[in-house]
Amino acid sequence: MKVRGFFRSAKAGGQLVICSVLIAAPLVSCEKNSEIKVYRVSKAPLEQSVPQQQDAMPTNTTAPRMPGGFAPAAQTAVTTPPNWEPRPLSQMRQASFMVKGDNGAVADVSFVSLGSAAGNVLENVNRWLGQLSQPPITEQKLGEMAQRLRTSLGDVTIVDLAGLPDNADPARDGRIIAAMVTTANATLFFKMRGNADLTEAQKGDFIKWVAAVCEAQTQAGSAQMVEASPQTTSAPTIKWTTPVGWTEVPPSSMRYASFNAPAEGGKIDISIVTFPGDGGSDADNINRWRGQMGLAPLDANAVTSQVAPLKTGDTTYSTTDIAGDKTRTIAAWTRRDGRVWFFKATGPIAAVEKEKPNFVKFIESVRF
Amino acid sequence: MVHKLVNIITSLKLTIVCLAAGMALIFAGTLAQVHLGIHEAQQRYFQSMFVWWPPEGRGFQIPIFPGGHLIGAVLLVNLIAAHVRRFRWTWRKLGIHLTHAGLIIMLAGGLFTDLFAVESHMQLANGDAKNYSEDMRQTELAVIDTSGDDLDQVTAIPDTLLRHNRVIDHWSLPFRIAARNFYPNSRLKMLSQAGEGAQPIANQGPGAMIAVEPVMRTTAPDERDVPSAAIEILPKDGGSLGTWLVSDALGAPQTFACGGRTWMITLRPARYYKPYSVTLQKFTHEKYAGTEIPKDFSSKVTLIDPERSVNRDVLIYMNHPLRYRGETFYQAGFQKDDSATILQVVRNPSFIAPYVACVIVAAGLLVQFGFHLVGFSRQRRRAVA
Repeated sequence: MKVRGFFRSAKAGGQLVICSVLIAAPLVSCEKNSEIKVYRVSKAPLEQSVPQQQDAMPTNTTAPRMPGGFAPAAQTAVTTPPNWEPRPLSQMRQASFMVKGDNGAVADVSFVSLGSAAGNVLENVNRWLGQLSQPPITEQKLGEMAQRLRTSLGDVTIVDLAGLPDNADPARDGRIIAAMVTTANATLFFKMRGNADLTEAQKGDFIKWVAAVCEAQTQAGSAQMVEASPQTTSAPTIKWTTPVGWTEVPPSSMRYASFNAPAEGGKIDISIVTFPGDGGSDADNINRWRGQMGLAPLDANAVTSQVAPLKTGDTTYSTTDIAGDKTRTIAAWTRRDGRVWFFKATGPIAAVEKEKPNFVKFIESVRF
Repeated sequence: MVHKLVNIITSLKLTIVCLAAGMALIFAGTLAQVHLGIHEAQQRYFQSMFVWWPPEGRGFQIPIFPGGHLIGAVLLVNLIAAHVRRFRWTWRKLGIHLTHAGLIIMLAGGLFTDLFAVESHMQLANGDAKNYSEDMRQTELAVIDTSGDDLDQVTAIPDTLLRHNRVIDHWSLPFRIAARNFYPNSRLKMLSQAGEGAQPIANQGPGAMIAVEPVMRTTAPDERDVPSAAIEILPKDGGSLGTWLVSDALGAPQTFACGGRTWMITLRPARYYKPYSVTLQKFTHEKYAGTEIPKDFSSKVTLIDPERSVNRDVLIYMNHPLRYRGETFYQAGFQKDDSATILQVVRNPSFIAPYVACVIVAAGLLVQFGFHLVGFSRQRRRAVA
């Protein structure tokens, strides 16, 4: 009776109503999906965890699968030096080894495969230098210090970086020897980091291993590697000769290919872009490029006077040369087989002038 | 005054009004699906406080009927308040208490499902592995910092923030994002094919060669809108890097550099990442012999969860979903050429509520009618004696 009396009192009832409304109102008024979320996701393909899981759970598992990427051949099919101890694979790594030297010296060796948009060589080298507490370097300096290793996957860039971060253990750190190669649909990273002397002693074995892994990847993944980005699968393959001094960099999503050429006061960005169809009128394109350089658009007649033909073998290109206040763009384009191909170089005015003969040679070398 | 309010809130007349309003709302909402499509009708009629009516040619809206949220919430409060006010503990009333408790759980469960359940889809081709599902009705602008060693940092901005031409300033980005020209549904055309006078809404990337044409939102349940927007990147130290067209119709993300880092931007269906992955081993679509009538379709998937050392094969088919970590994977559909399966992924923290409610209501009714039956048979026995 006491309980009933309590609830029957108007005061308690009023409190109950107010509480109920207070509880219900925010529930029904809150809006879903109106907040910005920040999270991190692994760059590694998901299938990399399969072999690791098989080790952990030998029963009730399926065959290892590495669709759409590279086979985990690096750990098994490639012969490694006897003093390289295999390590459990992490989410990112397709191969992982520990190398032990004298007096507790160790080095960590890894092989990671990421997507093609994993940054260019300079960005990655500067990232590794950052890991060793070293200042970043320029493209020119990189050109001086990088070694090239020809492999079946393409030219591998190898760098040897030294530096000991603050509070780091010299037995475990002090040097990074890293190799990087970009293919049509992936960027492969090989890295050895550890005691400086041990890393130096292992450098020869490391380079041999890199070459062997590239060879194994070519064989194991040849069927998968033809799966290129949508751009390259839909566009026919063209060939060209890269002029001396130009560095091919991973293309962005819309580009067929990208290059950098060194220049004073910056760099020259060279691109190949292709679209189905005619790619818009010359006036549209030239005025768009002018707009990007802060120049006013031209009328159709004025645009015509800015376009000059360039004949190379069986292909005739239209070319233009646009100079802004600081930058200059030279471009060549041609329409064939229902597609338009744009070749464009943009950079500081004087540098583009200097590089123009190379650009013309590059255009002349293109074979459809 | 308070006493009067309590009387109204605990009134059984209010219950009847709510139930009648609910019936009218369901009737009107069902008819509205013809023109609005199921999703829009649900949003306007059932997932709202009021049903709004925009007078033609006017820029404002008038609430004309209580929406599903309001009716449900009032009914829930009314049921709890009325029950508490009239509460009287005797064994003979056990059945009624149980039935009411079951109804309260069902109503509260319905409200919680509406508020907190997340539905998404996972489309997998044979051999595909994914650790995220996508919400086909929500769009997000993903701004991805690709400079990390092993991880990409994703800043996901929901489309609701892109709709009002606002400038977005977030701690995770070294630049501000000015969202302009958000089109909930659009068609993209190359400028050369878009006709005279067509102008691009972007000056960077492929968007500079593309015209965007806004179109009416789709109402068909099997069609999707193609949202597009122009996004200007404004570094926090001043200036502008240009304007990019982002659209669900542009397949690959676009890249730019800012603050010494490489960024990717893309407008895509909102993603829900999971700590595990699902790999499609085989999709099977059986038909009755000699016909195109589906007999059975099923997806054999491998579930891999590194955190819990799980690696097992699961067969998902009609009425046999995969339940894992609070999410349920239903066989929802497939691509027309059987090249991919579509799994519906539902996270519903209160999915158990209807089951519990039904059991409690059934138990309450059994007890209630049981008491009556026992009392009736005793009376009868006495009468016979």
